Formats: sequence, C-alpha cells, structure tokens
Amino acid sequence: MSASSKFKQVSDVVWEVPTSYKEGMNVPARIYATKKLLDGMDQGVFEQVTNVAALPGIERYSYAMADAHWGYGFPIGGVAAFDPEKGVISPGGIGFDVNCGMRLIRTNLRYKDVKPKIKELVDLLFRLVPAGVGVKGAVRLNQGQFEEVMRWGVRWCGENGYGWKEDADMVEEGGYIKGADPSKVSRQASSRGISQLGTLGSGNHYLEIQQVDPARFFDAKMGKHFGLVEDDQVVIMIHCGSRGFGHQVGSDYLRIFDGAMKRYGITVKDRELSCAPFSSKEGTDYYGAMVCAANMAFANRQVIVQRVREAFKTVFKKDAEALDMHIIYDVCHNIAKVERHALDGASKDVVVHRKGATRSFGPGHRDIPLPYRDIGQPVIIGGSMETGSYLLLGTSKAMTETFGSTAHGSGRTMSRTAAKKQVRGEELQRSMEKRGIYVKAATYEGLAEEAGMAYKDISEVVDTMDRAGISKKVAALKPLGNIKG
Amino acid sequence: MSRSSYRLLPNVALADIAFRANAGSPSELFESCSRALTDVMVDRRSLRAVETRTLVLRAEGLDGLLYDFLTQLIIIKDVDSLLFKEFDVKVDREGKSLTSELRGEPIDRERHRLRNDVKAVTMYMFGVKRSGARYSATVVLDI
Repeated sequence: MSASSKFKQVSDVVWEVPTSYKEGMNVPARIYATKKLLDGMDQGVFEQVTNVAALPGIERYSYAMADAHWGYGFPIGGVAAFDPEKGVISPGGIGFDVNCGMRLIRTNLRYKDVKPKIKELVDLLFRLVPAGVGVKGAVRLNQGQFEEVMRWGVRWCGENGYGWKEDADMVEEGGYIKGADPSKVSRQASSRGISQLGTLGSGNHYLEIQQVDPARFFDAKMGKHFGLVEDDQVVIMIHCGSRGFGHQVGSDYLRIFDGAMKRYGITVKDRELSCAPFSSKEGTDYYGAMVCAANMAFANRQVIVQRVREAFKTVFKKDAEALDMHIIYDVCHNIAKVERHALDGASKDVVVHRKGATRSFGPGHRDIPLPYRDIGQPVIIGGSMETGSYLLLGTSKAMTETFGSTAHGSGRTMSRTAAKKQVRGEELQRSMEKRGIYVKAATYEGLAEEAGMAYKDISEVVDTMDRAGISKKVAALKPLGNIKG
Repeated sequence: MSRSSYRLLPNVALADIAFRANAGSPSELFESCSRALTDVMVDRRSLRAVETRTLVLRAEGLDGLLYDFLTQLIIIKDVDSLLFKEFDVKVDREGKSLTSELRGEPIDRERHRLRNDVKAVTMYMFGVKRSGARYSATVVLDI
C-alpha cells in the first residue's frame, strides 16, 4: 500500500500519521511532501518519524520535511521540539556532523567575468581549502586557543584575522551559540578537531562557485536585500560542518547516554535514538559539548570564507572588499537549540532538534540580522553538484507550523556503491565540464558517489516547501565550479 | 570463503558505507573489520608498512571492544594522519581486552590512492554475533 493511501492528507503537501500508527507515539507525525515525494520516500522515514514521536516530552508533532530520508535514529529532514523539563536531547536528532550547514557569499562579479577564469579559480581553491581523507588545515592552535574557538566560533575568527568585523552578524546565532562548555568535550574529540579548522572534509561536502540562474530568479525584489542585483551574479556556497570533532562528540555521548537511559527509565525504539533528559546532568553536559562542536563548525566555514576571498583576490587582482565578498548568510542544518516559540497560546522555550533541516524564521524575529529582519531569514538549500541550489526566505507560517523550520537539501535516493556502478568519476567530470561545470575532487570515486542521479529532484523539494508556505523561493543558483572532498 | 573476510552491504545506509565481516575467531574478525574500514578510506595496496603502532584496549565485551578499536583507527587517522596496511590483533579469551600491532604509514596524497574519509562508527545494526565456531560483525560507517 502506498504511503499516500495510508496517511491522512492535511493539505496538498502535508500528510499526518496518527498516534494510532504505532504504540507509544506521544504526538502525531507530519510529513511535508507532494504525493510523488511521499510515495517515493523509503519506509525508514515513516518508521523513524514515528519513533521520534514516541520520545518523552515531544511537543505538537514529529516532522519530516520534503527531503526526508533514512538517517541514524531521526530521519534526515527531521524536526522535533521538546519541553526543556520533561523532554530529552538526542545526538541522533542532531546528526553526527554537528552544525553541518551552508554558507553563501556574494560577489559583484557576473557570469561573463568568472567563466573564463573558472579553472584557475577552482584549481587555486582546491589548493587553499584542504579536502579528503585525514586532511589538516593551516590554522595552528594550542588547546587553549581551540577552546576559545569552541566558545566564540566566528567571533574568535574575527578577532584573529580570519574574517571581517561584520561577518559574525550574518551567521545564524551571530556566529556562536551560547552555552559552550569545553570541559565536557573529551580529550580525543579535541585532538581530532584541533587541526581541522578550514578543511572541507569529504562525503557530500563541497565548495561551489555558482551564478544566479537568470531563468529562475523568482523574487528579484527580495534578492536585492541580499545584494543580488544582477540576474547572473556570481555567489559562492560552502557546505561543511564540524568535521571529526563533532563526530567524536556525538560518539562519546552516544555511549554515555546508553547508560543514562537506564538510570532515567527511558526506553527508545532504536539504539540510535539514545537520549537523556535535557535538564539532567548528562543532557546538560552533552548540550555544552555539542555547542562547542557547533561553534567550531561556524569557525571552520569562516576560515574557508577567508581562503575563498584570498583566491578571488589572486585571480581577479582585486581586494575581496572591492569584489563585495560579503556573507549573505550562514545556516545550521544539524543542530539542537533552545528557542522560544508560540505553543498552545503561550510563548515557551523548547529544545528544537533540526537534523537535515534548516531554521526558517519569518519576518520580525529578533534573531534575524537587522538587514533581513523585516523580510525573514535567508534559507540556503544545497542540491547535488549537478543540479544546483536555492536561496529562500523564512516565513511566519513556518513559525506557526514547524517551529520555524524547513528542508535542507535534496536527499539521497541511491547508495554510494550503486552510484559508482552507474558512472565513473572521470566520465562524470568530463560530462559536467561539457555542461559548463568544472569540478575538482579529492578522489574520482568520491566524485562518482555524489553524482546528481543519486539524489532527489531538489526543485520538487523546494517547490513543496514553497507551496507549503514554510519558506519562499528567491533564486535558484546554478553551479559553475565545484570542489568536492 | 577464506578464514576471514568481509563484504559491503550496498543497501544499508544509502549515504554511508556498511559491511559485514566473518571470521573463525574474534582476533581474525577484528583484523577483517580493520581491513574493511581501511579499504573504505584507501586502496591498501598503495600503502607501505613502515611505521608500527601498538594499541591496547579494554571494554565490557566484544561489541564495545570492536567499536572502540575501530574508533581508535579513525582517531589515529585524524590526529596522526596514519593509515595502516597490516593488522595483528589478539583478543583475549573473555573478549574484554585486546592488544594489537598496526603497521602502516603517514598519509601521502601523491602516492596513496585515497577514497572516502570515515568520520565515525555508528551504532546502527552494530554488533558481533557468534554462530558455532564462526563470528560475524556488522558495521555501518558514517562518511
């Protein structure tokens, strides 16, 4: 039986799974999808979104966004908010790569300026931004300095020569989340992260030079607020996170939570849903460590921004300031944060988990930087390296429906092994170059694994969120050059 | 089938890489798993065994011991940039401790045929099973 015939249709793009679906569900689940996307989702999404609905203290609904696919514990594309007293915090609801996210930088260059220099630019960026197995960055830190990075994120970068004064303001949470506690980070996690600032990593992470797609600049008026004034303007997108540091924090606390759950009498439907009461010692410790990883991820993307500015300066022989290389915005899409939301007629703090989901705060919210506060926050949704990405705006409807959340990307539909069987990295590189995309990867195998055919159609994902009204399209961004880890 | 081996599980964890290893003893099983983990990161044929590390670990049981052992290999890759070609592992009779000798070399981007960076061993489907005289382990790696 298809999913669309099993679940209650709330609107053309919202589906509800009732609490009767599975024993122990505390709230219903809601899935944002067209009928086609819903019926194409793996069964794992439905099992996982309903497993999450059974966690203690969950508020209103367990959500799956249009890009949802199976993940560890929570589905990727999952959102859940928990009561800070009765509810839990779960590494499986955040993702191993804490604060994996997207950053978008604008330039005042146009397609015709960049196209003739794209190879030079990509080759230089490939040298300046280390990617691949076991790479180390150029930033040398001692333990004390690394702990400052954990506490202050982009603010540390600004004070240490890795950015402009105004950069931190254009990053979610002002470039650092409060509540970091380096004493709750293991020695092993620190030792993995200390040399990784400014590295891209591997897997689906990338650095991409893009242009606004002239045929799909949906809202040029809103685009102006982001400094996008030309219909083929060039931008740079960075997708990466907290590298081995965040992963080690997650691994450390999964083991700790395994024991803690027994003490707190919590049972979960999947070992990867390991969790602890948010207000417990274990929950508080994990939050303090997780925020350290989140702030390191902000700083990691910031150091990469500086490398990107250096590369453009070298190739175009103009300062980054003269090229107007300002950060448009930076969003987390693997995170848990304490946020204030309207709930049951009152305003209440909740612990919002977004795993493969993006904050989508609407106009007027105090956490949106001043230049965008009247229009809503920028939402950056990354697609595959072949199909491009999107810039959207957060909405008031997201605030009332999804705890201010929307999708994050396109979502994988094919395994890495299957993708490699379908296409060879060398062939893919040549075929992309013919289509005007110059890609350089740490390995050809890694390149083949990230082929566009391995992912869902990002346009359908974005259209779904736009139709649902939880984020609104501003511009599609076409890839010109890409560096893959 | 050789006494110890592994195979990839392509339909498990689409975004990541899973494998199942089989062996006639816990020690061989751990060696198979460490070869599988390394093969995900590099073509081992391009590595040389010029540097030796010894790793001694204790845990509550075989599951935890294997999880910690594989996690240590990932940590050594990130912290010391070392990848290993050869693995000699001795798991004690109770399955609660091991000593291992690992031989490999520092990552050389020019010479080594590198593949995927592994970031973590996940708990998903993770575990060691015994069936008669054979042992098997299922491991899903976060890429």
